[in-house]
Amino acid sequence: MSLGGSLAIWRRDMQVLQRSIFSELAAVVAYPLTMYLAFGIGMQGYIGLVDGVPYSLFIAPGLITMTAVSAAYNESVWSLWFHRRVQFTIESYRVTPVSVSEIVIAKIFSGFTHGLVKGFVVALVIFAITPFRVEPGFLFSYLALLIPGSALFSCAGIISGTIMDKPETIGKVEAVLVMPLIFMSGLFFPLSSYPEKLLPWVQALPTTALFEGARQALVNGSFPLAYALQVSGMALVCFVAAVWIFRWKMAE
Amino acid sequence: MCYMFLMSYAITTKSLTKQYGDLTALDHFDLSVEQGSIFGLLGPNGAGKTTLIRILTTLMRQTSGEASVGGLDTSSDGRAIRSLIGVVSQENSLDRYLTARENLELHARLHGMEKKLYRKRIDELLELMGLTGRQNDFTDNFSGGMQRRLVVARALLHEPKVLFLDEPTTGLDPQSRRAVWDYIRSIAGKMTIFLTTHYLDEAESLCDRIAIMDHGRLIAEGTTQELKDRLSGGTVYVIEFQENAALYADQLSKMSCVLDINVVGSSVSVGLQQWECLSEVVSALNGAPVRRIALKERTLEEVFISLTGAEVRE
Repeated sequence: MSLGGSLAIWRRDMQVLQRSIFSELAAVVAYPLTMYLAFGIGMQGYIGLVDGVPYSLFIAPGLITMTAVSAAYNESVWSLWFHRRVQFTIESYRVTPVSVSEIVIAKIFSGFTHGLVKGFVVALVIFAITPFRVEPGFLFSYLALLIPGSALFSCAGIISGTIMDKPETIGKVEAVLVMPLIFMSGLFFPLSSYPEKLLPWVQALPTTALFEGARQALVNGSFPLAYALQVSGMALVCFVAAVWIFRWKMAE
Repeated sequence: MCYMFLMSYAITTKSLTKQYGDLTALDHFDLSVEQGSIFGLLGPNGAGKTTLIRILTTLMRQTSGEASVGGLDTSSDGRAIRSLIGVVSQENSLDRYLTARENLELHARLHGMEKKLYRKRIDELLELMGLTGRQNDFTDNFSGGMQRRLVVARALLHEPKVLFLDEPTTGLDPQSRRAVWDYIRSIAGKMTIFLTTHYLDEAESLCDRIAIMDHGRLIAEGTTQELKDRLSGGTVYVIEFQENAALYADQLSKMSCVLDINVVGSSVSVGLQQWECLSEVVSALNGAPVRRIALKERTLEEVFISLTGAEVRE
């Protein structure tokens, strides 16, 4: 399969991102930054150390990761829905010699790129205003989780944007499924807070692997191989599902 | 691709059928469109026109039957067909976050065109469509006519062999409609044009041959004149009398060459088997107070309504 069509669509998405980068980043940075200020600074005096690190450092990797994966999800879901239902651009792509799979791949890569760019900017802001620091060598381990994690959320966005025809449904899915998955995975508290019976279920979530793995990589400098494999495997399954669902929907 | 030029038909369908559950959108539909012609497809809402276009442009698969474009099978040669065709869909599918030129550049890249080739071609098309001065503007700021012209330019960018125009002038003002018509006429013969429209004057003005479909079936096909002739089987004249129109109408209705008679005030509409019968009618009216005899042109709309019915479709 040629990826020329995917590259053309991805270039288009990056051209649009480039034009609106400042307004997008302002909105993207505001949310995790507010969370950081409210929880990291506001609550740290009450919480103290969590798993041996100050609370403000405990939540920082999760906030950077949350920004990246949320951006990947949002870009994919809204972009696909808008291009399919409002602008009909997907239809115009489909009457060119580009395959359906190439369109899906392009949209996954666009979501993924949005995630990486926005996560990187939030990381820079957190580095600038907090004492949170990362050894450069830790970043490789972190990227081994963040890249498949962003791809996973981008694929999930493609699936939602393909299946949902109404924008309010997309908002509901985000509120009922995506945000709880992110928050339940130990973003603001250690997994040891969960009752023992619930813990295996929470640990089976790909988001837990992603956020716990990200924290271990950035704070401790370890490489959580099992978590990286779990996220990568889930991203692969989600990719196959996204391509299949998109093809099925387009054939309707 | 050379194979296409050896064939006399650009589009063919054989017993093409598409079902959505219990609904049959296309019912054993047979059609042949000659290369280089402008072919018009007419039908009321829900007749199956869009389904047919979606199958021919490989956006949808048929339930059964065959369809080919440029000699290629729509169910197995989708990618090759899509490189041969240009499509102007009903919806405005321009990317509002890109400028006019960027819209065309994206489309060229999707067709795998080389940069030096598409830059020149884009310049030509923008010039032709009168959009050169607005090429760096976002399409949101364009009028409906300008957007439509840009969609047509986009469909022509890769020099397609078959151009599908699905209601290309819907929602345009008369001037913009005329501009699109002029352009379609200017490219006639260089490629096959397959047009669907609700504007019967548009079909009459542009198309070499017209097909009328309803309930997924082809119900008539021919040139505009052939379809009009088919309606009455002959010609209609309007005879205006100074007085006693009903009396003369009764007299004419007894003639064997008169197919039908309608009286409206002092005018009598007379349907004849063929125009040669007119001299017989004139002889029969010798001495009658005739003020005027005029040939009544059948319109394509009359043909359409007679074949598809007058009731409003959902």
